[in-house]
Amino acid sequence: MSKQVTLTIDGKQITVPDGTLVADAAKLAGIDIPVFCHHPKLEPVGMCRMCLVEIGRPMFDRATGQIVMENGQPKIQFMPKLETACTNPVSEGMVVLTQTAKAKEGQKGTVEFLLTSHPLDCPICDKGGECPLQNLTMEHGPGKSRFIYDEKLHLDKQVPLGELIWLDRERCIQCARCIRFQDEIAGEAVLGFDERGRNTQIVSLSDPGFDSVFSGNTTDICPVGALTTADFRFGARPWELKAQASICTQCPVGCNTTLNTRREAKAGGDIVIKRVMPRQNEEVNEIWLCDKGRFAHHYVGSKKRLARPQIRKDEKLARASWDAATKLAAENFSASKKDFVILASGRLANEDLFNLKSLADHAGGRAILYSDMGGGDLTALVGVGAGTNLGKLGEGDAILVVASDLYEEAPIWYLRVKQAADRGAALIVANPRETKLDKFAKFSIRYSYGDEVKAVNDFGKKSKISDEFAKAKNAIVFFGSEGLGLNGTSAVASACADLLKETGHIGRASNGLIGVWQRANDQGAWEVGLQPEEDLAKALKGKAVYIVGTDPVGDDPKLAKALEGAEFVAVQDILETATTEIADVVLPAQAFSEREGTFTSGERRVQRFYAAVPPTGDSKPDFVITSMIAKQMNIVLEGTSVSVVFDILANSIEAFTDLSYAKLAEVRPQWPIVGRGDVYYGGTTYENKHGLGVQLVPAAQVGGTVRIPKVKKEAVLRPKEKELLAVPVNKLYDRGVTVSPAELLDERVGEATVSLHPEAAERLGVEAGARVKISFDGVSGEAVVKIDDTISAGVALVPRSMGIAIKEPVAAKVK
Amino acid sequence: MLLEKYPKEVKQILSKYPPEHKRSAVMPLLYLAQREEGYVNKAAMQDIAQLLDVTETEVASIVGFYTLYHDEKAGKYRMQVCTDLPCALRGADEFLNNLCANLGVKVGETTEDGLVTIESVMCLAACDKAPMFQTQGPDGIKYHENMTVDRTMELIEALKKVKE
Ligand code: SF4
Ligand code: SF4
Ligand code: FES
Ligand code: FES
Repeated sequence: MSKQVTLTIDGKQITVPDGTLVADAAKLAGIDIPVFCHHPKLEPVGMCRMCLVEIGRPMFDRATGQIVMENGQPKIQFMPKLETACTNPVSEGMVVLTQTAKAKEGQKGTVEFLLTSHPLDCPICDKGGECPLQNLTMEHGPGKSRFIYDEKLHLDKQVPLGELIWLDRERCIQCARCIRFQDEIAGEAVLGFDERGRNTQIVSLSDPGFDSVFSGNTTDICPVGALTTADFRFGARPWELKAQASICTQCPVGCNTTLNTRREAKAGGDIVIKRVMPRQNEEVNEIWLCDKGRFAHHYVGSKKRLARPQIRKDEKLARASWDAATKLAAENFSASKKDFVILASGRLANEDLFNLKSLADHAGGRAILYSDMGGGDLTALVGVGAGTNLGKLGEGDAILVVASDLYEEAPIWYLRVKQAADRGAALIVANPRETKLDKFAKFSIRYSYGDEVKAVNDFGKKSKISDEFAKAKNAIVFFGSEGLGLNGTSAVASACADLLKETGHIGRASNGLIGVWQRANDQGAWEVGLQPEEDLAKALKGKAVYIVGTDPVGDDPKLAKALEGAEFVAVQDILETATTEIADVVLPAQAFSEREGTFTSGERRVQRFYAAVPPTGDSKPDFVITSMIAKQMNIVLEGTSVSVVFDILANSIEAFTDLSYAKLAEVRPQWPIVGRGDVYYGGTTYENKHGLGVQLVPAAQVGGTVRIPKVKKEAVLRPKEKELLAVPVNKLYDRGVTVSPAELLDERVGEATVSLHPEAAERLGVEAGARVKISFDGVSGEAVVKIDDTISAGVALVPRSMGIAIKEPVAAKVK
Repeated sequence: MLLEKYPKEVKQILSKYPPEHKRSAVMPLLYLAQREEGYVNKAAMQDIAQLLDVTETEVASIVGFYTLYHDEKAGKYRMQVCTDLPCALRGADEFLNNLCANLGVKVGETTEDGLVTIESVMCLAACDKAPMFQTQGPDGIKYHENMTVDRTMELIEALKKVKE
């Protein structure tokens, strides 16, 4: 434990770690010192002067070096002037006074000064009601100003910093929290101050404006209404909102969120989601969210939501009763016996996936996970140990990221890994092209697409990099699907698992393997026994198929073709998709925001989400629909209580033993303290009152020998002359069904692109921005050329889910 | 491109800083970029950002902060009047207003003949000699202290006569 220091604040004695700042020590003691520029996650700057207090320290005799005593007590010497609590670290015997007339005068003066230039347009300000400036003015302000009220500096009030964040220049109090967040935490200094003095203004010159996927966080920590999101701006008053705990469903990080909802006339009196806010979980997302998680929520309120069951009659889908729809599905599934196939995605909750797997098992069918990524069996075996916290990695630890662009695939992991590197962890990024994380890496390894396994196996040879990894106290490997399909990812996962085992980095907290999955609950699907299938088209053809939470027809023409030849297709989803259009039966499911359940994150943390809005139409939770179908097949599956489904799951799947909804809902005190009445301290992030979740214990941590199955990687594809090797890469803002309904993100989604090396572009006679046709293997599509000189000349990068169905590397023609 | 235009100078400036602190070269590079036209254009800011591995916004912040860097074209001379608090207490605002009225321009504008641009700036560290301003022009930076509007107009007349 680090050295402890004891001090007294307003007569209250408290012991805190050495190095703690006075403002934070006071917070720990339950004493609120007002702050604006100070934020517990940012480096101190002392810019706003709001936190002025009296600080005294024990007097030392210069000659003897002894503490001077007075009436048996150390004599305390106070500084003649007030000091800032946010820049002064505590010291032994320190005495801090926050309530004296002198301190109060200082605080009053600062508020008075700040308001000389503030518009005080609270009634039309989005921050009104949860505004630090408003609150601190009420509490510490002078009430009356000595300045002339109508002599204020007026600045622009509606400045888009990009299309996601708006700036009100005259509300800004120049605390630089937003600038510092972007620089220190996100590592993307795209905000800055222009000019000086009263004219100081926030600017962003990036293209697109405010070019960062973390931009929304600045609106949480901005202590005034200067920064607002385009999503929530003029959307509602904070006090009208209800809050419900949830989990982000956009990627495997599993950020804890709070859904703010309210009834709305525009929605015909329905309760709708007004905004998504971060909910503190220091082991997952701290107090942050990425912009996809914050802004992509609109799909749950989309006009395309399915509201009633439908059955195909005379070529057309017609409304049907739940009973008729589930009966028809059940009859077809029963009749097909072994030819019954369930295709489900990691968008579903653990309970849904468990019921689906049980149905397949009982009915003698198969349940397939819809994913191009393998290795989930290995993450269950040697995945990160229970107790892992990326926020604790630093000096002496190592992190290896292979075949993944964390910034695009799991932004909050990017942020946490970057910060671990800032704290001294050795970050090794192995990827065929440069990614944003390279900037913070100690070592960057560039291999060619196709050589992923070799790149990992090279760690077996002696080198500076492999030594650093081997000797690290703790080591974590992230593997992803950049340039890889199912076989490739499985092979890479196995190579990574081997490496971890060989170097002794398994079976402990903060060690092991993490899959950068394509969907939020892919890990959960693997845990309950679903696995992807290499030749999906073949697996679906001629079968009775039950498709849940995914759109194979919209994704891939080959699968569309295969499903044309299916015996029977039942589709269960929340949205109308190309797949529901070809269905024989359509079953409307509830969105995650309308029901309860659990997800398993990529770090194998099982976390609960709660119902925030009422269900759409007659939709039902997925696990309920599955149990209704099962019942018609004479199979008994729990279909009433989601927590009972979870109990059954916990009883039958070893890793979940002893888990229960009550356990998942447990909370512990977290630091920094946020989300209480003191929004000025940590921002508008919510406090976690609904559960920090529980990390599953990987098999390797339980003990016994760990055997890692070898996966043979298929030979690297060598494209013919005049062909390029098209490789899939992942993009954060894609055209997935859970993103596109958020029109706000349209510009960032953009068009389908293909990235080429300058040489390849020259050979093809195209320039950046040109439109080309790319075709392979029955698939073809248009894309806009991007130039990337960090890739090799023989490849063409094609982002997944952007309209060109690419699952794995494939030889392609580009024209 | 800055590097192409002044390869020697850029290299020389960069050589003064250890590579891991190359961002410190931002100030001399900005001077270099400003040399010809008297202001730093957007392309130059992008160049510098790229050279130093910082964002364009960071470069622009430096330009915005210092009164000696400019991001817009101006007259032959910039007349930068300090209106910060101590100067304001000694009548800087009034001085500036009267000067503008005399020249028929607003703060930030340039006289019709393109000779002087009037700007208002933060403390120039001559607070005790207000009203004061500095001129920036072909002859470098000069301080003019304890000024009156009349004396300033005389100065402008004199500047008109200066030959290139
Ligand atoms: S915009 Fe907000 S966070 Fe940024 S400097 Fe201004 S007040 Fe602070
Ligand atoms: S990082 Fe992932 S889980 Fe977190 S908010 Fe973003 S998309 Fe959601
Ligand atoms: S100076 Fe301490 S909070 Fe700003
Ligand atoms: S305030 Fe004008 S020079 Fe200092």
